[in-house]
Amino acid sequence: MRYDTITEAIGNTPLLRIDPAVHGLRTIDLYAKLELLNPFGSVKDRSAWNMARPGLTDAVRRGATVVELSSGNTAKALALLAGMHGLGFKSVTNRMRVPEIKELLLLLGAEIEELPGRSECLDPTDTDDPLTRFHRTLAGPETSYLHTDQYFNPRNTEAHVTGTGPEIVKDLDGRAPDWFIACVGTAGSSTGVARVLREHDPDVRVVGLVADKSDFIPGIRTIDEVQEVGLFDPATYDTIEPVTADEAIDGMLTLIRRCGLLAGPTGGAAYHGAVRHLRALDGESSDRRTAVFIVCDRAESYLSYVRQRRPELLGKPPRKNSATALTEAEVRAEAKDIDTEGARRWLAGEHPPLVVDLRGPHAYAALHIDGSVNIVDELFDELVRGGLPFSKNRPVLLACPVGEKSARYAALLTRMGHPDVRSLSGGIVAWRDAGAPLVRD
Amino acid sequence: MRASPLYLRPRLEPPLATLLEAVPFLHSLVDGLGSPLNVVVPERIAENAERFRGVYRKHHLGGRVFFAHKANRSSALVRRLAATDPADVGVDVASLGELRHVLGAGFTPGRVMGTGPKDPEFLWLAARTGVTVNVDSYAELDQLAGLVRKYALPRVDVLLRLSEFEATGSGVKVLSRRSRFGSPTREVKALLDAVERHRDSVELIGVGYHLDTTGLAEKAVALDRCVMVMDECHARGLAPRVIDIGGGFGVGYVADAGQWERYTTELTNAVLGTRPALTWRGHGYGLRNEGGTLRGALGLYPAHRPSAGPGYLDELLSLPSPSLGRPLGTVLLEQFYELYTEPGRALVDQCGLTLARVLDVRATDTGPPLVRLGMNAADVSLEEHGVLVDPVLLTRTERGEGDDPAGVGVHLVGNLCLEADLITRRTVFLPRLPRPGDLLAFANTAGYAMDFHAHAAQQQPVARKVAVVGDGDGGSWRWCLDEEYWPVTYPGEAES
Repeated sequence: MRYDTITEAIGNTPLLRIDPAVHGLRTIDLYAKLELLNPFGSVKDRSAWNMARPGLTDAVRRGATVVELSSGNTAKALALLAGMHGLGFKSVTNRMRVPEIKELLLLLGAEIEELPGRSECLDPTDTDDPLTRFHRTLAGPETSYLHTDQYFNPRNTEAHVTGTGPEIVKDLDGRAPDWFIACVGTAGSSTGVARVLREHDPDVRVVGLVADKSDFIPGIRTIDEVQEVGLFDPATYDTIEPVTADEAIDGMLTLIRRCGLLAGPTGGAAYHGAVRHLRALDGESSDRRTAVFIVCDRAESYLSYVRQRRPELLGKPPRKNSATALTEAEVRAEAKDIDTEGARRWLAGEHPPLVVDLRGPHAYAALHIDGSVNIVDELFDELVRGGLPFSKNRPVLLACPVGEKSARYAALLTRMGHPDVRSLSGGIVAWRDAGAPLVRD
Repeated sequence: MRASPLYLRPRLEPPLATLLEAVPFLHSLVDGLGSPLNVVVPERIAENAERFRGVYRKHHLGGRVFFAHKANRSSALVRRLAATDPADVGVDVASLGELRHVLGAGFTPGRVMGTGPKDPEFLWLAARTGVTVNVDSYAELDQLAGLVRKYALPRVDVLLRLSEFEATGSGVKVLSRRSRFGSPTREVKALLDAVERHRDSVELIGVGYHLDTTGLAEKAVALDRCVMVMDECHARGLAPRVIDIGGGFGVGYVADAGQWERYTTELTNAVLGTRPALTWRGHGYGLRNEGGTLRGALGLYPAHRPSAGPGYLDELLSLPSPSLGRPLGTVLLEQFYELYTEPGRALVDQCGLTLARVLDVRATDTGPPLVRLGMNAADVSLEEHGVLVDPVLLTRTERGEGDDPAGVGVHLVGNLCLEADLITRRTVFLPRLPRPGDLLAFANTAGYAMDFHAHAAQQQPVARKVAVVGDGDGGSWRWCLDEEYWPVTYPGEAES
C-alpha cells in the first residue's frame, strides 16, 4: 500500500474474532475492533484528524497553536498532526497521571499545562473554575488557538459515524452485532458507532463502561465525570456498568497473553466488561449471536500504571548487593560507626579514610566535609550492585544526613568484604552540630 | 421505591466519639448554657500536634509546627497548646488581638509568628516582644524596619512569604491560583536587596509560602522554588535556615468513602434532573445543567479525604523535588533546613463540636419537613466552607422507637427571620424525625466552623464555649467555660 500522508492510514482497522477458548462464551461470537492498529496508536487518531482537519489551513495562515483538554491519546494524535503542519500543540490537563504519556508528549513537541488543584479553603468569590477560564481565553478576540474541543465537538462522533461504525457492519457481512460494548471517555466512539449500528438494527444493545468512582483507568471517565461531557447522552446506552482498575488490568493480561493483542488497560476494561456482561446472557437463545468491543490503544505506555497496581507482573528479581534487603538488626550488628570526634581524629591521622558524602549534589555543593567525594545514594546503590567500588586497602568513611543510610551501606560493604568502612554516626547534621568544619568549594 | 438514605456520617475519633455518647451530659450543658453551644476538647489538640511531630521525626526534620490561630478563637485550645514542648510547637497569629491572646495564654514570643497583612500596632507589638514576622510584602518589610529604627526596637526575625511560583522551562507548566498575599517570586531580588539594606533592623531567618490548594504538585513546585531562593540568600552572605510551607493539610469530615461517592453522584443526577432534588430549591453547589450536560465546578470541600493532616504532610515531603529529583524532605534535611508548618483546620481536627436545640419541626406540602434550630447559619459555618457532613441526633429522652431504615430527609433552618437562614441548603438525612427538645450535634467544627463567622444579628445569642475534659475511659466528663480553662485546671488529668 502506498500513501502520500500518514493520515491516509487512519481507520480501516481489522475486526478480530476472539478465540472462544479464551472467553468461554458458548453461543456468542466476540469480536475485537483493533483500533490500536491506527498509525498514532489509538482510536483517537480518527477523531483527532476529523476534528482538526477543517481548521488546519486557517490555523497555518494564523500560525495558531492547536489546543485540547487531554492527557492521553487525543493529545498524542493532535501533537503529531500539529507537527506535520508546522503548528505547535498545547495540552491542558488536570493532572498527567501516567508519567510515560507525559514524557511521550514532550518528545512529540507538545507543551503541557497542568490546571490548579482544588481550593483548600473555599473561596466564594472564586466563582469560576479553571476550565471556565480556559474556555474564556479561547473565546477571546484574536485568539491564536485552534481548539478541537473533543468533549463537545460533533466531528468527534462523526469520525465514528463515517468510519468505525460502517467498518464493523461491513466486516460482519452487512449486519449489526447483537451487542456493542465500549468504554466511555469523550463518548465520541461509543455514540458514533451506536448510531450506525442502530440504523441497521434498532435491537442492538449498547453497553457503556465507566471507571469505578474511586478508581482511575486511562481514557475512561467515572459515572460523574461522563456527565460533564457534551457528547454524552445517557440514552445512547442500554446499560452503564463500572469497571475497576484491577479488572481492566486482568482484561489487558488476557488480551496480551492469550490473544496476541498488545492492548492497553482501556481495551482490557472493554474486554473484561464485555465478557462479564455477556456471560449472564450466554445460551439464552439457540441462535449464534455476535458482540463487538473496541481495543482502544496499546500497552507500552502504561508500564508505570501496571507497576503501581500490580508490581508482581513486572517481576523484579531481588537485587544483588542491595542495601534495602538488610534488616534493621543486620545493620545494627554489622555496621561499624564512628562519631564526629573519632572521625576528625581518623581524618587527621596517618591513614585517613576516603570520605564519601551520600547526599544530593545540591546539598553537597552548599556545604560538605573538606576533601570528601560526593556519590549520591541512588548512584552509590547502582555502583555497589556490581561489586566493591573501592580498593580494600583504602579505609572509607560514609556520611549521610543523619547516619541511617550510611550505616546501611557500611553494613553492606562490610558484608561484601571491605575491611575498614565506617558510618559517620549522627551524620553530617551531628558533625555540624558539634561545630566541626564544613566547606564550600 | 425509596433508596437507602444518603447519609454523610461524620468521621469520629476519641475523645469526640465518646463525648457524643454522653448524651445526658450534653443535654445538661445546653440546658444550663443555652443553644447554640460550642464544646472544645483541649486534650486532642496536643495529640494532633504530636502526630505532626511524628512526621517531622520520620523525615528527621527540625523546626516547629505553628497552630494557625484564626481557625478557632478558643482560649482553652491555645493554652493547652502552650503547655506542649516549646521547641516543637508554636502559634501563628494574624491580628493584634490574636497576638495579645496568645501572649496571655502562655506562648513566649520566640514561639509566635505573625502572618498575613499587618497594621502598625500589630507590627510594633510583634517587634517589641520579639515575635517572628512572616513578611507579606515589600512595603511591609520597609514599614517594619522603619518602626524598629524609630522606636529603637530589638532586631526582628523575619520570614519572607513568596507567591506565584509557576515554573516553566521543562515543557510542563503547573498552573496555580493567584493569591493576594505574599511577594511574587520574580521580585525576590528587590526583596533581598531590602533585607540587606535593613540588616540593622531585621534578620532573615527563612522564606516560605502558603498555597490555597489541595494539589501536592503545586506545593512541590513552590517548595522547590523556596530552596532555590535560599541558595540566592546564601550566595549573598545571608544565613536563613527555615522554609515555611504554610498550611492547607486538610481534614477528612466524612468517615466513609462510599457514602461520599454515592452522595456526589446523586447530587449530579439531581442537578441533571434524573432524580428528585437533594437540596433547597434545587441548589447545585456550583453545578448546573446546560441542555443535559453538566457544567460548572462542584464548589464543595472534599469531605472524604484518603489522606489529610499529618498524612498529607508526609506525602508532600516524600514527593520528589521537581528540579533536584530527591524527595523534598531529604532536600530539606540534607541542607540542614528547618521546616515550619502552619496547620489550622488540621490541628483542631476532632477538637470540638457545636450543639443546637431543636425548636420546631414542621411538615411542608412541598418537600421535606423543616427542622428549626436554636442557632443560625453563622453559628456553624460548615456550609460557608463547603463542608457537607451530617449532624448527630441526640434525643431528649429515650423514646423506645427504632431508627427508620429509610432515614428521614429534613431541611435545617436557623433562628433568624430571614428566608436565606438555612444551616445547610442540603436535604439532611437523619435516622429518625427529631422532636422539639432534641439536640443536633455538629461534629468536628473547631476548624473555622465554630466562631469564624458567628455574629449577633437580631440579638440572637452568640454561642458560649466550654472546654471539656474526660476521665480517659469515657465514663465521666468535667467542663468549664472556655476562658476559665488552664492546663492546670484539672490536676492529674491534663498533664502531659
